[in-house]
Amino acid sequence: MAGPEITWYLIVSAILFSIGTLGVLLRRSPLIVLLSLEIMLNASNLALISFARLHGGHDGQIFALAVMAVAASEVVVGLGLIVAVSRRRLTLDVDSFRVLRG
Amino acid sequence: MIQGAWLCLFAPLAGAFAITVMGDSITRRTAGWISTLSVFVAFAGAVVSFVGLLGESPGEREHLSTAWTWLSTGSFKIGMTLLVDPLSVLMMLIVTGVGGLIVLYSIGYMDGDPEERRYFAYMSFFVFSMLMLVQAGNFLLLLVGWGLVGLASYLLIGFWHERAEAVAAAKKAFIMNAAGDATMALAFFVLIWQTGTLEFAEAFVGAEGMSSTLLNLVALGLLGGAVAKSAQIPLHTWLPDAMEGPTPVSALIHAATMVTAGVYLIVRAHPLFELAPSIQDLAAGLGALTLLVAGFIALVQTDIKRVIAYSTMSQIGYMFLGVGLGAYGNGMFHLMTHAFFKALLFMAAGLVIHHLAGEQDIRRMGGVRRVMPKTFVAFLVGSLALVGIPPLSGFFSKDAILASALASGGYGQLLFAAGLLGTLLTGLYTFRLFFVVFLGRPSELVLQHAQGSHGRPEEEDASRTHGKTAHGETASHGEGPWTMTVPVAVLTVLAVIGGWLQIPDVWHPFGDWLHDVAEPLVEPSVTQDLVASALAVGLGLVGVGVAWLFYGARSRELPHVAGVRHALEHKLYFDELYDLVFYRPAVWMAGVWRRTIEEPLIGGSITGVSLSARRAGGVLGETQTGYLRSYALAIAAAAAVLVVVFLAVQ
Repeated sequence: MAGPEITWYLIVSAILFSIGTLGVLLRRSPLIVLLSLEIMLNASNLALISFARLHGGHDGQIFALAVMAVAASEVVVGLGLIVAVSRRRLTLDVDSFRVLRG
Repeated sequence: MIQGAWLCLFAPLAGAFAITVMGDSITRRTAGWISTLSVFVAFAGAVVSFVGLLGESPGEREHLSTAWTWLSTGSFKIGMTLLVDPLSVLMMLIVTGVGGLIVLYSIGYMDGDPEERRYFAYMSFFVFSMLMLVQAGNFLLLLVGWGLVGLASYLLIGFWHERAEAVAAAKKAFIMNAAGDATMALAFFVLIWQTGTLEFAEAFVGAEGMSSTLLNLVALGLLGGAVAKSAQIPLHTWLPDAMEGPTPVSALIHAATMVTAGVYLIVRAHPLFELAPSIQDLAAGLGALTLLVAGFIALVQTDIKRVIAYSTMSQIGYMFLGVGLGAYGNGMFHLMTHAFFKALLFMAAGLVIHHLAGEQDIRRMGGVRRVMPKTFVAFLVGSLALVGIPPLSGFFSKDAILASALASGGYGQLLFAAGLLGTLLTGLYTFRLFFVVFLGRPSELVLQHAQGSHGRPEEEDASRTHGKTAHGETASHGEGPWTMTVPVAVLTVLAVIGGWLQIPDVWHPFGDWLHDVAEPLVEPSVTQDLVASALAVGLGLVGVGVAWLFYGARSRELPHVAGVRHALEHKLYFDELYDLVFYRPAVWMAGVWRRTIEEPLIGGSITGVSLSARRAGGVLGETQTGYLRSYALAIAAAAAVLVVVFLAVQ
């Protein structure tokens, strides 16, 4: 099989995942939190496709496609929420959303 | 003949059902006529059965008719069985005949009551229950009738359900009767256990092999039921209170039919009682005690219906005395004549009450004779029959019982003395009532109601009459509408001639009629009959004379014995005693259980469960911070832990 060892792919994936996790945990802007989530999802996609290539099957690739679809819908919902929040002129800070009411 | 018996049983039930189902679509008066008609149809059925039995030879007058098997467990079978024999036919005739007259009377008496339909449905239902009781072909059906009668009397006593006293009286009657029902049921359990059957004849045969202890228990249980239903000491306190019901109810239930069920039971189950002679003696003793106690209490009561109620207790005491000593025919004879003259007295009293817009206190009455001369005659006939003045019916029946007592040895003679004292009391309290109500100068109340349609009830009376709107017009009817006066007239005639069915040593068709069902244990001689009659009539007349001295024209000062009077006015403290012995300990026990069991254990455990759930919820709620980051951290940390765990396991 051409290209670098599987380990390298996984290391990249792990680094991306950690960056995403830290972003979700530490950042306060909902937009950045969403972006970080996307990074985490893509990190997992990378891992799935790497293994798919390694084993020569298609399962991992199909899984990755499903993850992308879910990620897209999740972004739609998330962005919708953010727009709704900003329309009400509330601060865009995840810590201020402690009490969720209509 | 059998068809007549079935018709007799189910006609009143059909009447009650029809009135209930039709509801508002019939007028209140129509409901009354349906009820009356149903009871008279039942009477016709009873007459058919009676004529059928008359045509047979005396030894064969017993017919069982089973419609279907009602219960069947193993070898124990109970059918929906009717028994037609001289005893049950006699009771059928009394119940439907007197009952029909009383229902007819109710049409006038209850006129204008907003709930007349309910009343008439109950009345028909009551007659059905009573017929069930007397026609039952086995002990279980008898118990069914027994219980239904208790239910119907509960409904009728509490008919005016807005009145707290009426509701309390209904409950009291029901609970007292339930105690009797329970002892009866226990007796039946013993019978099933020992003989394996509740059929009359088979149980009587089987009972001969039972041990005397068990026989005594069975007889005692039956006696308990009889005592409760017939308002004998010690289960008598419900009857005077039951006078809260409408007057025709008092006449139907508390004079003519229901309260005599105990006497019927003893006669019906006499083979069992004869096997337990001590219990039979106890029944006679209780009867004698009751007739004295009730006679004394009746002397001081001031409510016209209560005086008659105590007199009923006293007269049933005579019946118990008779049947307890084995004079079954004579006891039943007194039952029949008593049904005539006591229903007459109640209904005549009802005419007076109706005329005076619901007033029942005899202290406010007086001189009623001037305004109601016909009622005066009816009440006089009833009173004379009750005291036992010849040739009225009470004379023959009461004296027959006393003569039987005289013929029953030492114990019987003791009871005979009690019965004689009772006749003195009977004369005294009956004519006290009679003189106070009917003689003398008309009281203000009587005058007020005598002045035609202007005599509208006062405000205070309105609360007592409860919904009877037509009272302003009663005076214009004369002494009452014909539906009320005709039954009274018929019963007046019956109270006069009812006793002629049995004249000692001249002719005794009544005794012969019952002879094969319940053969009497005693046959008084001619001398004993004469002695008993002479003494009883003499003492009765003395009682009337004494009443005349104190309450008649002379109206002498009463000897004042405060203690005795007070005790009698409190009905010898029976209610207070039961309150102390049963009610208070029960309440006290309930309080103790509540404090020691209910509140700390049961209530405590439930509040404990809810409290701990609430606390646990509070603790878990702390983790619900609302910070997105903390949830994310928790998920991440959990994932990390899982990874470590998986690696470690591998």
